[in-house]
Amino acid sequence: MTTAELRVREVTLRFGGLYALDDVSFTVAPGALHALIGPNGAGKSSCFNVISGLYRASAGSVTFGEHELTAYRPNRRARLGVGRAFQNAALSPHSTVLDNVMLGRYALTRGGFLACGLRLPWTRREERRHAARAAEICDFLGIGAALHTPVGGLPYGAVKRVDIARALAVEPSLLLLDEPAAGMNAAETAELAGTIRDVRDELGISILLVEHDMGLVMDIADRVTVLDFGRVIADGTPAEVQADPEVVKAYLGTDNTESTEAG
Amino acid sequence: METFVQLVVNGLGKGAVFALLALGFVVIFKATEVVNFAHGSLVLFGGYLVVATRETLGWAGAVVVGIVGAGLLALLVERLLLSRSKLADPFSLALLTIGVDVIITEEIVRRLGVSLPFIGDAWDAQPIQAGGVTLFRTHLVALVVATVLITLFFIAFRYSNWGIAMRAQAENKEAAALVGIRSARVTATAWLVAGLLAGVAVLFIATQDFSGAGLSRGTHSIALAAFPAAILGGLDSTAGAIVGGIVVGLVDALSTHYVSFAFSKSAVFLVMLLVLVIRPSGLFGTRETTRV
Amino acid sequence: MSDTGTDARATTTAPPEPPQAPPRPTPRRGAQWWVRKALWLALFLVLLALPLYLEAQWLKAGQYMMVGAVGAIGLTLLTGQAGQLSLAHAFFLLAGATSYTVLSGPTGDPELVGFGLDPLLALLGAVAITAVLGLAFAPVAARLRGIYLGVASLALVFLGLYLGQSAESLTGGTSTGRPPATFELFGFPFSNDGDLEIAGVPIRETERVWYLFLALVVIAFLLARGAVRGRIGRAWRAVRDNEASAAVMGVNVPTVKAGVFAVSSAYAGLAGVMTVLWFDILKPDESEFGTYGINVSIAYLAMIIIGGLGSVPGALVGALLVNGLPQVLALYSTQLGWSTGTGEGAFTPILISSFVYGAAIILVVLFEPGGLAAIGRRIGQRLTFTRRGKE
Repeated sequence: MTTAELRVREVTLRFGGLYALDDVSFTVAPGALHALIGPNGAGKSSCFNVISGLYRASAGSVTFGEHELTAYRPNRRARLGVGRAFQNAALSPHSTVLDNVMLGRYALTRGGFLACGLRLPWTRREERRHAARAAEICDFLGIGAALHTPVGGLPYGAVKRVDIARALAVEPSLLLLDEPAAGMNAAETAELAGTIRDVRDELGISILLVEHDMGLVMDIADRVTVLDFGRVIADGTPAEVQADPEVVKAYLGTDNTESTEAG
Repeated sequence: METFVQLVVNGLGKGAVFALLALGFVVIFKATEVVNFAHGSLVLFGGYLVVATRETLGWAGAVVVGIVGAGLLALLVERLLLSRSKLADPFSLALLTIGVDVIITEEIVRRLGVSLPFIGDAWDAQPIQAGGVTLFRTHLVALVVATVLITLFFIAFRYSNWGIAMRAQAENKEAAALVGIRSARVTATAWLVAGLLAGVAVLFIATQDFSGAGLSRGTHSIALAAFPAAILGGLDSTAGAIVGGIVVGLVDALSTHYVSFAFSKSAVFLVMLLVLVIRPSGLFGTRETTRV
Repeated sequence: MSDTGTDARATTTAPPEPPQAPPRPTPRRGAQWWVRKALWLALFLVLLALPLYLEAQWLKAGQYMMVGAVGAIGLTLLTGQAGQLSLAHAFFLLAGATSYTVLSGPTGDPELVGFGLDPLLALLGAVAITAVLGLAFAPVAARLRGIYLGVASLALVFLGLYLGQSAESLTGGTSTGRPPATFELFGFPFSNDGDLEIAGVPIRETERVWYLFLALVVIAFLLARGAVRGRIGRAWRAVRDNEASAAVMGVNVPTVKAGVFAVSSAYAGLAGVMTVLWFDILKPDESEFGTYGINVSIAYLAMIIIGGLGSVPGALVGALLVNGLPQVLALYSTQLGWSTGTGEGAFTPILISSFVYGAAIILVVLFEPGGLAAIGRRIGQRLTFTRRGKE
């Protein structure tokens, strides 16, 4: 699958007098596994919210291919190929895994109250077709066996995977992952690393990753952007970033527990 | 001009009563994020106690029983029902209060039957003439009483241990618990205060001056106007409750006179809708921010 | 109905191909599926046969439960599935009742507006009008959340009370009201006119209206179930559980909210038409407590809480209880010779029912937030081990 370049250009986000993001620029190359890191409160989630449209940037632009994303409402961005998994896995706990993942197919399907209510033949056909694809995605992420289980009854690791499956069900060409490893143990994290790499390799999509687990980031990312106090302080390969004195200062100077707390 | 002055004074008097009710809502909401749909039934209960004990205790004694009774009922509802369902979210608990409201209201309406007693003996139907303007004593007394009570409330809210604990809990429940604030006590006190205020408010509502109708299902409906008062001020703002109460009182008085009595109820709610469309969290309420 | 899925996707960079995955067996239709189907069918057959055996007064009681069922299904979609608390249901009931009466009312009356439409058209028109009214409230609903929305919706009930009283040329006013046109289906009247017998039992007005209502309930039920299980139902639940994540998944949140308001109001409108046919008179209330008052909004809320928020079958059971109890108690009280006194301190059937459903709300919230639907599901699970999880 072909994918496009995500260009974040001079994005500023202000809440009152506070700068959550200050002139942030970086580029996610097509097919890249790009990590966005930084101490707590550095603006990583704010940056995600600007890209997915939940926050409106005070200034700057976000382009994806030839599209100026900031011109679109969040639900339109899903159609442009931007998928996102959430930090707190914002799923419907009483609904089954399949039902949750099928929400990702929303923009790809049609049918309102009457079409669904009347269970028209084309609606049912479409539903079956997309359910099969959703099941396939769940298999790919190793949660195929839990398809008909309510999400509320699943272990935490599986819940995070359901969230990723739902984001993939959008058929994104750019996947945003917000702290996928948070709350996981070492074994689960290692397994997740493999999964993320598989997603990129097999689907050929770009992944932008916010993550606290430095081991995971340095292991799988091809490129890393570091935020601190809403500004980009470094951008480069994992090795370059690790050697950057600014980065070391940001982590040691403010909160050096970052790399351990998420583990 | 005289009419207008009269209307404004009436509006302020009614507004003071709505402010007392709205303040009760807000106090409960701040402590627990629960909207108390049973507020109208607390109002009825307080009024009913006055009616039931007036013969034996005399009016003044009955008034004390009514106020304290309404407070205790609120406390009981919180202790026996709401606090027992800790897992329930504010939304479900609000639904629970609807159930409470139905039961208490229906039982009191049944007991009242066809009698519609007035209960504002000390001030009702004794108008005062002042410079060509006729003023209702009920409204004047309500204004004074409400001013005193609201002042006392704000002093307590600002300086007493309960007030500080309450504000801390409204700010951040977990942090408040960590520094040793006993959430259960704060919440229970909030309900008690709300009930007491409801018990006071009914003494002015079930009068000829205020509504022209005695204690009845209609009293419950009038108490419902405290909803728009609390909402348009902002559900989590105590100052907003006072402003909201006054706005509702004025809108009620003015629209009754200039449009019609039937329209006044809708007018109050329409003003609330208008405010909400412009400011979804009311005039003084804190805005919700999305977090994911 | 409104829906977001129709926008062209011409601008997509990498249009995902319609997936061509091999069909995966959906969970097999096990014994439980067949048992469930059979039970529904049996219930339907019983409901079809009841008019042949029951007296008119019992049928009348059953009709009232069916009115509640249609309204409750609409509310459970809005409040249970999409998470939008509404106390405005009674307003939409009144709007539906008035619309039907006006649209089907005779033309040429100097005091009452009437359009003389065919009753079926009037019914459909009433449903459409209430749906549009629901849409009109949507801009307000889109800006508000949770409790704020609930209280804001209360405004509509007060507005309805005022309009019902003041728009006498439409409603006939509080003192006399106005009668609705008898319902007719392609010339067949739902009245005592004409002879019709089934198995020797004369099918007169009460029996005919029973079948009409039964048909309406079945349609309302099937549409709601299909919607809940389909794409639109998923959007509703997503909006209820997390608006931000729903938006990121492609759901146009304001549009979906507006849509569910329209759907729910349309259901309430239909229930309003049924209400006015049941009473055989449109009579606006004199106070907030009446046929279209706050008490009715609360009664509908009670139905869906008791049945289990969001559950369509639960709404049916809730309606059975909340609307059925006062009717049944009233019938028994005459049979047993109780005085159904209306005087001071009397325990009227309506009063007892209010106590029961007030208590039921409290018990459900305290002990079983999923309502009767959750209890039913658990019993079902106990009886069979496999289960198709869906809602």
